[in-house]
Amino acid sequence: MQLNNALLGILTICLTGCVTSRIEDNRAQGTGIEDGESVVVMAKSYHQGNETEADYIACVERALGKGSDAVRVIPNQEFVDNLFPWFEPRTAPADTKGLPGLMGRPGVEAAVREMGVRYIVWLDGDTERVAEGGSLSCAAGPGGGGCFGFAWWQNDSDYEATVWDLDVHEHAGTISADVTGTSFLPAIVVPIPLIARPQAKACKGLATQLRAFIVQ
Amino acid sequence: MIVKYCFASVTSLAIFMLVGCSSTVTMEMPTIPEPRIEKIPVNVAVRIPAQFQDFVHSEEVLGKDTWTIHLGSSNAAFFTQLFGFMFENVTILGPDDDARDYQFDALVEPSIEGFEFSVPSQSQTNAFAVWIRYRIAVFDSIGNSASSWTVSAYGKSQKEGLGGSDSLRRAAILAMRDAAALIIMQMDKVTDIRKLADGPLEPADDEPGAVNADASPGVENNEPDSVIGVFAIGGIDDAAE
Repeated sequence: MQLNNALLGILTICLTGCVTSRIEDNRAQGTGIEDGESVVVMAKSYHQGNETEADYIACVERALGKGSDAVRVIPNQEFVDNLFPWFEPRTAPADTKGLPGLMGRPGVEAAVREMGVRYIVWLDGDTERVAEGGSLSCAAGPGGGGCFGFAWWQNDSDYEATVWDLDVHEHAGTISADVTGTSFLPAIVVPIPLIARPQAKACKGLATQLRAFIVQ
Repeated sequence: MIVKYCFASVTSLAIFMLVGCSSTVTMEMPTIPEPRIEKIPVNVAVRIPAQFQDFVHSEEVLGKDTWTIHLGSSNAAFFTQLFGFMFENVTILGPDDDARDYQFDALVEPSIEGFEFSVPSQSQTNAFAVWIRYRIAVFDSIGNSASSWTVSAYGKSQKEGLGGSDSLRRAAILAMRDAAALIIMQMDKVTDIRKLADGPLEPADDEPGAVNADASPGVENNEPDSVIGVFAIGGIDDAAE
């Protein structure tokens, strides 16, 4: 049984590509979260060229809501719909200077209080393929088939989370995650994929840091 | 018999290949959430043009795929809902209704001036994008043109799944929602529609754009002096209010 687990562990390590990550935070002011208060995770506007993937936002939302120091997360679509049209890609405030004016709009502050939203986390960034190389060819015939060659690719996940405190209408700080992953695909008859998942790593790392940043 | 089977197989394959080169997206009825705004105290009639009953846009992409998007009557439903949220009283007029048979302070006539989209193979990104250009014509209660406003809306959605039909549909819905946000935020400021509650416009000799509300917007010879295009991004311009 122990041998099986050890083999499984070794296999898992062997089948994972190389990943390097750097998570940093930059605090502008003190934070903290009370019972009943919550966080909403939003993507910065695509009107301004942001390409943050919807599945990355969903991953950060899920990761924030898990664990012993989990924070309550309001789904971003629920928040945006509830405050329509003030958090649409075109109309969302670009910085905290617009927050006091926005809160003065009819029903906006009441809706934010009702949902218990204390922090808005704005996500910016994306995952891109930055390099690739090698070659791999496969052939099949009546007697069977197989592949031969070696291919590799490198993905870079670069994300930044900006935290706004709606209690004081101020910028609370930023957290950045820069994760690079190189995947390999060697093949001698059978291809053996060694896949790196930098986006998943960036999600987990950023969410962990973000939770610590907010809970303090 | 074998020949028959071969013919059937080849025909099926040909049909499959032809279908594989075109994608059709059909819009469901879009809904927008109730906006957190104060209604504009104007009694408005909204004329839904014939093009809103069944709008279809088709485009061939790089000589390969053909994408067709059926908006159907989604624009009619969208503007009916939007103006219902924005104004105190709203009367919906069909394309054949005579506006002179109804009482209102302002007649609003939306139309589509342009519809474009891009798919990932065109933009070299992983996203579908939709641009819709609406024209919002506003007339007073006796048919004088009060304003003609161009609203440029944009929606973008990342590709999900194999086909991309859902992503294109979502991009179109986001573009309509973008138009709704812009119209809610800017319409009163840009068109001065609130003032029409006090009565029709004063007749002006130098206003070449005063046209009867029954006239088709396509046959207007002159644009009124208040033809305005707005494309604002990034928060609320409080200083401008």
